[in-house]
Amino acid sequence: MRSPGRAWWWLLRKECSELIDSRAWWVMLALIGPLVGVSFIAATRTYAEASGLGGAAGGLADALWPLDGILVPTLSAYEIAALFLLPFVAIRMIAGDRQSGALKLELQHSLPSIARLGAKMLVLLAGWSIASVPALIAFAEWRAAGGSIYLPELGSVLLGHLLNAGVVIALAAAAASVAEHPSTAAILTLAFTVGTWVLNFLAAVHGGLWERLARYTPAEMLQAFQRGQVRLALVLAAFAAIAAGLGLASVWMRLGVSVRRRAAESIGIVAAASVLMFGCSRSRTDWDVSENRRNSFSESDERLLKQIQTPLHVEAHLAPEDPRRFDLERQTLSKLRRSLPHVTVRYVAATSSGLFEQANLHYGEIWYELGGRRAMTRVTSSENALETIYALAGMPPPKEEQAEHRGHPLVARPAGAALIFYGIWPLLAAGVWIFIHRRFV
Amino acid sequence: MSQVLVEVSGMSKRYGRVTALDNVAFSIRSGELLGLIGPNGAGKTTLFECLAGVQPADHAQVLFQAEYRDTRRRSSVLFYVPDGIAPWPSQPVQRALEFSLDFLGGPRPLYKEVIADLSLGPLLRVPIGNLSKGQRKRALLGLGLLSPQPVLLIDEPFEGLDLRQTREATDALRKHVLTGRSLFVSIHQISAAAKVCDRLVLLSEGRVVAQGTPDELTRLAAQKLGHTPPSDFEEVFLALTG
Repeated sequence: MRSPGRAWWWLLRKECSELIDSRAWWVMLALIGPLVGVSFIAATRTYAEASGLGGAAGGLADALWPLDGILVPTLSAYEIAALFLLPFVAIRMIAGDRQSGALKLELQHSLPSIARLGAKMLVLLAGWSIASVPALIAFAEWRAAGGSIYLPELGSVLLGHLLNAGVVIALAAAAASVAEHPSTAAILTLAFTVGTWVLNFLAAVHGGLWERLARYTPAEMLQAFQRGQVRLALVLAAFAAIAAGLGLASVWMRLGVSVRRRAAESIGIVAAASVLMFGCSRSRTDWDVSENRRNSFSESDERLLKQIQTPLHVEAHLAPEDPRRFDLERQTLSKLRRSLPHVTVRYVAATSSGLFEQANLHYGEIWYELGGRRAMTRVTSSENALETIYALAGMPPPKEEQAEHRGHPLVARPAGAALIFYGIWPLLAAGVWIFIHRRFV
Repeated sequence: MSQVLVEVSGMSKRYGRVTALDNVAFSIRSGELLGLIGPNGAGKTTLFECLAGVQPADHAQVLFQAEYRDTRRRSSVLFYVPDGIAPWPSQPVQRALEFSLDFLGGPRPLYKEVIADLSLGPLLRVPIGNLSKGQRKRALLGLGLLSPQPVLLIDEPFEGLDLRQTREATDALRKHVLTGRSLFVSIHQISAAAKVCDRLVLLSEGRVVAQGTPDELTRLAAQKLGHTPPSDFEEVFLALTG
């Protein structure tokens, strides 16, 4: 019997061929061009308008960053592709072997199923990377038009999309292996996606445990990377989810093992993944790779805050759907968690929207408690929070720093973008597909 | 008599309330062409799949050269070619044959010979999904013959083949048996099975009702019927499975 290494190499080459012969992948490839085109062209137009085209205010232009204005909107095309195109490409590749009977042949090698799936995963990720070419063309156009791109920010967003794609592929692999038919696998995958939307909705309405769980849905996970924040907990959780998906898929691919044993092993994998993800969620290591340090306080504030060793308790009387709670979380609490070693936050609300709590005198209060001293404010901004914390700690605030970070406004219309994304790219994809498939005609 | 290579005993399989295999026992000898015959639904495919480990048996003991082999370790000595599959439909026949050589580590020197024996040359660049039933069967036979395992199980090797192709395939299988390889094939054409196989295993309703050479089975049928041996092997089959 051939050594596992050589057998795996054959498998990898076979999977590459399967991907190249997969119509689903070529359809995705052809569609991704126009999707990126729509996003990129709309983003550059909006960016130009906000930068002063047609007489916009100069202050707004100073706050413009390509991360929010160009990178994230352009790459949003890949969120759609990961939701509605990639799962079908993955299911086709994984369920196809079962449908055609090839799995029965491949299973007769002692190569572990996880190695077989690893080859598919690698090839699918390579296919996804090729599908990323239109985005890279868009960014090259942006640079050629004089636009700025901060590479760590681009890396963060791309990493988020890659992990998202990995989770989608692993999920589709699990669904394709468990289900007898590809259509059932597609329904299972979409049901999972809809399930994460429901979870996000519950998190928005009820907060609490739902909110903590929703942080690990693909959409929420991606948002952190889109802010230029690389959180180790999210990266590890994504890897745990990918491992769990592939683990489940490999268990259900082993047709020669009894269903009872496969079910027991699946329960074990889900339990192990849950424990692993819970463990990952404890990690507070993260990197703010945004150009304007949007996820951090100023360096002088951070230096000062690091001197505070006493635990800080925050009690916010704000309902889950209250926009002020979102502001507080985004502008202040997430930065405090990064800067202070011990921060606990407790939300108090009787309702989900807070609309009917406005009459309550305490609604809207945000209490900060440090070393037995308490102070209350109703302002959600980070400046106000820092002022309150310094007062509680008995520390003078640091000298105000000159605003170091200014945006990159740009009025530009990338030349030929419509032609490239709506015309050349789909035609190129179709042309290459026809050329490759003529080999066998 | 050649040595027993594979010994199967106590093989049982149920699908819910239906018993597909009931305490099946038989042996495969070295360098023989063993046939598995039985009516539709007798459990032939289930037997092959349980033996090859692509579906779980409820109970089974499989010995290879008197040594116990669990499902995982069986893959190094047995290779099973299922019936009615079109593996990797977008891939050309050549890649499917490379599966046996590069993935399983089959004997490369046999490559040209197998292609010639099964007339696969003109099909090498054709995707498997585009082949006719008979062409696909020949490609699958080629894939099986190029596998390295000493025992080859083939489900319905002549299904979809015309008379000439059946003869070619029979000759190719016989040639491999002469090299010392053991073949275990399921055949639903009873008279063809009697001509092609050295020994036969008769399966009916999941049970082995008889096994032996065609002559032995004919004598057994005569004993059962209580008169002179039937001239037609189909009569033998009906007598033993009735």
